[in-house]
Amino acid sequence: MVRVSKGVLQKAGKTLCDILVCPLSKQPLRYCGDSNSLISDAIGVAFPIKNGIPCLVPRDGKILEEENASKPDNNNTNLSEVEEQNQGRSA
Amino acid sequence: MRAVSSFWRKQQQAWAFGRSRSAAFSTSNVKIFDRQLKRTQRDRAAWLSHEHSHEHDPLLTSVSQNLLDRLQDCKRTFPAALCLGGSLQPVARALSSPPHNGGVEKLIVVDASYDMVRACKEASHHHAVETHFLVGDEEFLPIKESSVDLVVSCLGLHWTNDLPGAMIQSRLALKPDGLFLAAILGGETLKELRIACTLAQMEREGGISPRLSPLAQVRDAGNLLTRAGFTLPGVDVDEYIVKYESALELIEHLRAMGETNALSQMNHILKRDTALATAAIYDSMFSEEDGTVPATFQVIYMTGWREHPSQQKAKRRGSATISFKDIQKQFGSQS
Repeated sequence: MVRVSKGVLQKAGKTLCDILVCPLSKQPLRYCGDSNSLISDAIGVAFPIKNGIPCLVPRDGKILEEENASKPDNNNTNLSEVEEQNQGRSA
Repeated sequence: MRAVSSFWRKQQQAWAFGRSRSAAFSTSNVKIFDRQLKRTQRDRAAWLSHEHSHEHDPLLTSVSQNLLDRLQDCKRTFPAALCLGGSLQPVARALSSPPHNGGVEKLIVVDASYDMVRACKEASHHHAVETHFLVGDEEFLPIKESSVDLVVSCLGLHWTNDLPGAMIQSRLALKPDGLFLAAILGGETLKELRIACTLAQMEREGGISPRLSPLAQVRDAGNLLTRAGFTLPGVDVDEYIVKYESALELIEHLRAMGETNALSQMNHILKRDTALATAAIYDSMFSEEDGTVPATFQVIYMTGWREHPSQQKAKRRGSATISFKDIQKQFGSQS
């Protein structure tokens, strides 16, 4: 899943994908093609991409509701991995 | 007047002291500036500069040129560069025009205002440098650690509530041996306007409210760099005196640069009477023989590097093997 999303982001620039992180948690971002947004799984916030310009100001982010955030299994594991990483860092 | 301005500076220092105890990434509770208002002001600046896109702002151009001149003093090149808010277009233009751009191959342009970023994107026709555009806040930098070689911030950081925090985030975004270049407005900036505003408000309203923001002093800049953890810090100051036909043109220019008041505690009402009185006082106190009024812009240039083993540093205290007395014996007789 991660590879696919990177492939999609290559249009916007692969380098950008490598460099961008969530402004609040500094965790990696995931590209969501359906809503055309960058999703920070660590804090459950979606940042919009307007005309190819990602908007990563915390105020522009939308908090994902749990119902809408029903993701494929791969993503859930991805999320739990991130959580594990977070716990590992805090521990 | 002086008492009032020093009061504001003291307040600022007190805030800075309070912030120093907080962790690097935690946002301080004190909000000096209204960042959202600043974003809308920068949106307006983008529209205003779009109207005059054929002519470049001389002040912003010369400040950014002066800042980027420092790149030519460096032997190394900077393949990946990050350009933060403030005077965005002149910096992006200069960085994307080889050969005098410090070897930048990849440029990321970040600003808090979407319209500013879009205007910058529309204005860039250079394909020599791979350029990416991004809306982001300097206080919450969405850049991965150790990913860029150069961070340039030209006249943007003086609007951050947490200046040390923003600088620490810039340092973390840099690769080891990466260069941080910043220009901020210093405390002497617009001193004429500060005086005129205070006098006019005292006269017409019987009291004063902050019309101009508190700005960093030169001596603070070095401390800021050291506190943010940069090595080989360098600070220098330049004063630009811009002449306007009247104080109203000065305000127009400030609007076009997006440098108007964004204090979160500011008085939102400005009476026409007070505004005109300010212009009149400005004119009578500071006008020159040719009828123009000068405005001072003090720019503090800051340079810092992310630490790297190859950089020179002072030897450990007490590690010297030669006494100064011996040196004097050796060389003192010659002089």
